Amino acid sequence: MLKKLALAVSLTAFAAGAAHAADVVVSSKIDTEGTLLGNVIALALEANGIKTQDRIALGATPVVRKAITAGEIDIYPEYTGNAGFFFNKADDAAWKNIDQGYELAKKLDYDANKIVWLTPSPANNTWALAVRNDVAEPNKLKSLTDFGKWVAGGGEAKLAASAEFVNSAGALPAFQTTYGFQLKPDQMVVLSGGDTAATIKAAADQTNGVNTAMVYGTDGAIQAAELTVLEDDKNVQQVYAPTPIIREEVLKANPKIEEVLTPIFKSLSADELRKLNAKIQVDGEPAKSVAEAYLKEKGFLK
Amino acid sequence: MEETSAVRRLDRLGVVLVAGGIAATALMPFIYVKANRIAAGKPMLLTQLLPQPSVIILTILLVLTAFATLFLRHALARLVIATLCLAALIIAIGLVSAAATPPGSTVARMTPGGGFWVLFAVIGLIISDALVKIRLAPWMRVAALVAYAALLFAFLSSGLLDSLSIMKEFSTRAPQFETEAISHLLLAFGSLAIAVVLGLPLGILCFWVPRLRAIVLQGLSLIQTIPSLALFGLLMLPLGYLATHVALAAAIGIRGIGTAPALIALVLYSLLPIVANTVVGLQGVDPSVRDAAAGMGLTRRQILTGIDMPLAFPVILTGIRIVLVQAIGMVTIAALIGGGGFGIFIFQGLGQTAMDLVLLGAVPTVFFAFSSAVILDAVIDSIRGSAA
Repeated sequence: MLKKLALAVSLTAFAAGAAHAADVVVSSKIDTEGTLLGNVIALALEANGIKTQDRIALGATPVVRKAITAGEIDIYPEYTGNAGFFFNKADDAAWKNIDQGYELAKKLDYDANKIVWLTPSPANNTWALAVRNDVAEPNKLKSLTDFGKWVAGGGEAKLAASAEFVNSAGALPAFQTTYGFQLKPDQMVVLSGGDTAATIKAAADQTNGVNTAMVYGTDGAIQAAELTVLEDDKNVQQVYAPTPIIREEVLKANPKIEEVLTPIFKSLSADELRKLNAKIQVDGEPAKSVAEAYLKEKGFLK
Repeated sequence: MEETSAVRRLDRLGVVLVAGGIAATALMPFIYVKANRIAAGKPMLLTQLLPQPSVIILTILLVLTAFATLFLRHALARLVIATLCLAALIIAIGLVSAAATPPGSTVARMTPGGGFWVLFAVIGLIISDALVKIRLAPWMRVAALVAYAALLFAFLSSGLLDSLSIMKEFSTRAPQFETEAISHLLLAFGSLAIAVVLGLPLGILCFWVPRLRAIVLQGLSLIQTIPSLALFGLLMLPLGYLATHVALAAAIGIRGIGTAPALIALVLYSLLPIVANTVVGLQGVDPSVRDAAAGMGLTRRQILTGIDMPLAFPVILTGIRIVLVQAIGMVTIAALIGGGGFGIFIFQGLGQTAMDLVLLGAVPTVFFAFSSAVILDAVIDSIRGSAA
């Protein structure tokens, strides 16, 4: 009986491998936005007659990256800025500009792995600072320039952020240099993990007096937590635009994929993404139905 | 004298449990009322919920159970009262959460608070203590487990608990839950099966060749010390290389991520308990029995299959029980490398600070681990019982 179980396990694995051949394997990272975009891609392809296999919410970035370069998955949503880390070019100035960053990522990944980067969304899901509404409104804080002036002028900010954000030269130190402010150690609550859900919660609950949180630009919990994202008006941060990336041979077999996904991703602005992420994270709706409702609303799905 | 001290020992446990239950009810909230999935909740104590009829019945039964635990000597009566109290507790949390949900709201979430969990644990301990005192036969213990599980599933399927946040999380992802449950159990049992197929012969070999014993057991102990997450990560590289360069490997489903590294890591962790317990079990067989068998003319293989294995079986089965419970827990980590299972809910919940989603992954894992421990223990005891 035990041997039969072992046989069943290996046969299932084999069958799963065999099924790969025909359908386009759609995958994504395990976070909220990844699951949303993965479902958007899968639904859009299915609606246009392209059969898909669901491997959405596979794992963290290294796992998904390894899967696509090994040919196990065919398409998943990636961020333009991440290409800097995949190819050890994190310091390149091109990443700070959305178009230059996209072109560079496209070139690097195609040359190295024959992976094609399709049309990106105009949203920027990068590190940002968000303050509580009841601090932003009276002090008229809309951008990081305003924030910098306010803190330098004695404004009582207390930031919840990850250790990486606080120490990485490209993150908080870069913000502080460009916008002319300096947070003292007792004005920061440093967490070990990079989970923005935790920092947002800290600002929402005012844990330890926190009123500013490290966030990602399109986090869903921002509005529910009554925070305002401060605009990076001097472009300190690298741009992370969500882009569907696909293996070239799969694209050649299904050339329709590009024209199907281009208008959809172009319509996903930062505001739209925030709203959709909020529906999943705050309201608890399943990612698939949120994706379906969005596609129907915009007319991409009948 | 013996009986009085036994009674006093029970009373002490009863006193601790009752004191714990009272402290939890008085100090910890019974339920959290949350505006949405990730908001901090408004805590509500049981006392604040009193006007509701289900809570009144629950309070009466809690008091009855407390008295029964402290003063009632008849174990079966204690069991019945405690079971009624458990049922009242579950019904109460279901009805209270339904009442607390603002009408027409789909985003509000009700989560059981610390008070509920402590009461659940305390009543559970009173029930298991009563079951132990009744001294059930092994198969009756399994029947009791099945009965309580059936009671729980009856409550779940009746829709009584649907207002609870964990059930709302379940309802939005029911098909995925089923798929992940199947992958989780397949991974756990699959790795157990492979570990037994590899570990039993290895254990027998170690028993026959004493020099091999030290090396193998030390090697396996070394593997056991590697943190599971690290081992999953370490296996990704060689397996990925194997998958791309060896066609046969890719054809049978070996990949750098997903089932293959998870399965291999689980098997590696499962080998030590099985090999060690096989050796200990075989060592525990009385050498005079073996001598007698050899004297009767049985070959080494006949002694192994006819005498050694049956006598060592309870110890080996204990090793299998350890492995199964360990594997069910460890499969949750496999979700990080694409292996599926209940771990997906745990990690998604952590990433979204939705603790109810974490519970959706954790509670079934605990349930399966607990059930397999009870069932295998009963099997071991029945073998030991019949052997004696």
